Amino acid sequence: MKQYIVYSIPLAILWCFVNGDISIVNFTFGLVMSPVVIKPFKSLYNFEAEVSIRNDIRRIPKQLRYLAVLAIEITKANIMVAKIVLRPRININPGIITVPIRAKTDVGITAIANTISLTPGTLTIDVADDKSVLYVHLIDIHDREEIRASIRDDLEEYVLEALE
Amino acid sequence: MIGIGFVLDILSNIFLIVGLFFVFLGMLGLIRLPDVYNRLHTTTKIGTLGAFGVMLSILLKVGFSAMGLKAITIGLFLLLTAPVAAHMIARAAHRHGVDLCDESIIDEYCDSYDK
Repeated sequence: MKQYIVYSIPLAILWCFVNGDISIVNFTFGLVMSPVVIKPFKSLYNFEAEVSIRNDIRRIPKQLRYLAVLAIEITKANIMVAKIVLRPRININPGIITVPIRAKTDVGITAIANTISLTPGTLTIDVADDKSVLYVHLIDIHDREEIRASIRDDLEEYVLEALE
Repeated sequence: MIGIGFVLDILSNIFLIVGLFFVFLGMLGLIRLPDVYNRLHTTTKIGTLGAFGVMLSILLKVGFSAMGLKAITIGLFLLLTAPVAAHMIARAAHRHGVDLCDESIIDEYCDSYDK
């Protein structure tokens, strides 16, 4: 029961944004309708897991820092790809490598995979069956150890702190 | 006297131009790069920032009205879903036997699943 209430609040906020009208009446309507959405889809998620609101609130500063890092990385990625596209001769050395990850939970792996896809020169293709490595497509393979290190030390650190 | 509305208008136009420029670059990359995996690089990264820039420009122009709120929600959803779409397309392509382009050096993925 507690889970229903906790998950209803973000869904109600999302409803306010999608509906384009932020008001108490609209928020309450979203809150009332959320269980109808949660009910059929809860089997897809780890729904019964214990939720601790205090724990979630304590993480918010770290999540904000993660978002800031993500914004910077996205901007860098765009400038880098723009440079490659605008070069008169396209000269790239692509390839697929494995990148070991430390994240264990599904949320953590999804976040790190999405972050890798949005950062410069890397694109996640798949997760290994035992969830220990990611297969990452690199647009320029020459600095592969560098990229492995930067994923492990920079990006994954923030993801682990923010979401696990 | 320069009002806040004027500044927001200018900012909105700047974001619109930057966003459209990046969308254009994304499409250019789609044509110029050699294979599906490299093309996905441009469409996910550049497409995301380009579309997000356009959405941000709408938000700055109309403020937190119904349209602005919807625009920024769409922008955030794009940010969340574009990498997932790219992952699925690349995975499906690789498993259907789409080869990497000739310049490619290494492929550590091809041994990880049964053909």
